[in-house]
Amino acid sequence: MKAVYYRTIILASLICLACTTRVSEWVLLNALPDQYTLIYFHKNPVTETVKKQNKEVVDGMKTANIHFKTVARNDVSESWYGLYYEERLFIRFKTLPETKNIISSPLREKISSELMSGKLCVMVYLLTDNREKDDTGRKTLQKALGASPFGSIISVVELSRNSKEESIFASLLLNVEDDLKDIREPMLFGVFGRFKALEPLLGKGITEENINLMIDYLTSECSCLIKDDLPGTDILFNGNWDNPAPALLNTIIDSNPALGL
Amino acid sequence: MQNDTISYDTLDSRPLPKWLTDQKSGVNTIQPQKITMKEDNSLKISFIATTIIILVAVSFLTFYILRKHKDQA
Repeated sequence: MKAVYYRTIILASLICLACTTRVSEWVLLNALPDQYTLIYFHKNPVTETVKKQNKEVVDGMKTANIHFKTVARNDVSESWYGLYYEERLFIRFKTLPETKNIISSPLREKISSELMSGKLCVMVYLLTDNREKDDTGRKTLQKALGASPFGSIISVVELSRNSKEESIFASLLLNVEDDLKDIREPMLFGVFGRFKALEPLLGKGITEENINLMIDYLTSECSCLIKDDLPGTDILFNGNWDNPAPALLNTIIDSNPALGL
Repeated sequence: MQNDTISYDTLDSRPLPKWLTDQKSGVNTIQPQKITMKEDNSLKISFIATTIIILVAVSFLTFYILRKHKDQA
C-alpha cells in the first residue's frame, strides 16, 4: 500500500514538473528530431563500387537524423540521390560527393554547441545579400534582443543564402516552408531544441513585436497543446544531444519570477 | 511545417506562421479554468431529506407507541 502511495506522489510530481518546464527546454530534453531519408534512385543494377561508396556514406550518417535507402525505378535515366523529409524532396544531388557535408557543417556545429550550452535558442538570420534589406532586419533584431530580458541567452548567427560552404544548411532552411526559395527577403529562423527551426519571420514581418512573440513562445510553459503540435522542421544534423547544460532560462526566471508568468 | 502553403498574391498577404498566430491569439498559453454557474439544488435536496427523515421518525414512533399501548391494554 505504501509503495502505491509513493508512486502516486512521484507520478504527480513528474506531471507537475512537466507542466512547468519551458517549451525550449522540454523540446531539447524530450522531442526526438524527425528523420530525413537519403534515397539513391537507379535503373541499372548497382555496381559493387557504388555499393561500397553508399555503405561508406551510410556508416558516416549513423548518429544523424537520417537513414538511407536504395530505390530501383525504370523511369530513371541517370542515377541520383534525393534528400527527403516527410515525403518532400528537399535537395537533389547528381553525385555522391555532393552529399559530403549533408549531415554537418561549421555553422550547424556552432549552433548545436550553443543550444547544448543552455541557450534559449539561436536566431539564424538568413541574408539576401541585399545590404539595404538585410540591414533593416538586422537593426530590428538587435533592438528587440537588446530590450528583451532574455536577450543574453539568445545567440544570433548570420548566414548568406548564397553561401557555398553552408549551401546545404541554407537549402534546408529554405525548405522549412515550400515557398521560401522563391522569396527574396531576409528571414529570421528561431532554432531551438534538437535543431528544430520554426517557420521564419521574413521581410517586413521581422518586427520587434514578432521577435518578442517568438521569444514568448520559447519561454512559455510547455502545455500539452504545444507538445502535441510542435511547429517547425527538424534540421538535418549529426549531433549528440545527450546531457545538455541546464537551461539558462531557468536562472533568469528564478531571479525574476514575474518574467515566467 | 506547412507543406500546403495557401496561395497568396503579394508577400504582404502571405499567411503568418501558425506558431505566431497562435501566440498572438494566446492559444499557446495555458488557459485558466473557466468558471461557470451551476444550478444550486442543495437547499431542495436538504428539504426533501429532512422531510423524509421526519416522516420516517414520526411513523416509527407512532407505530412504536401504538404497539406499546396495545400491549399494556
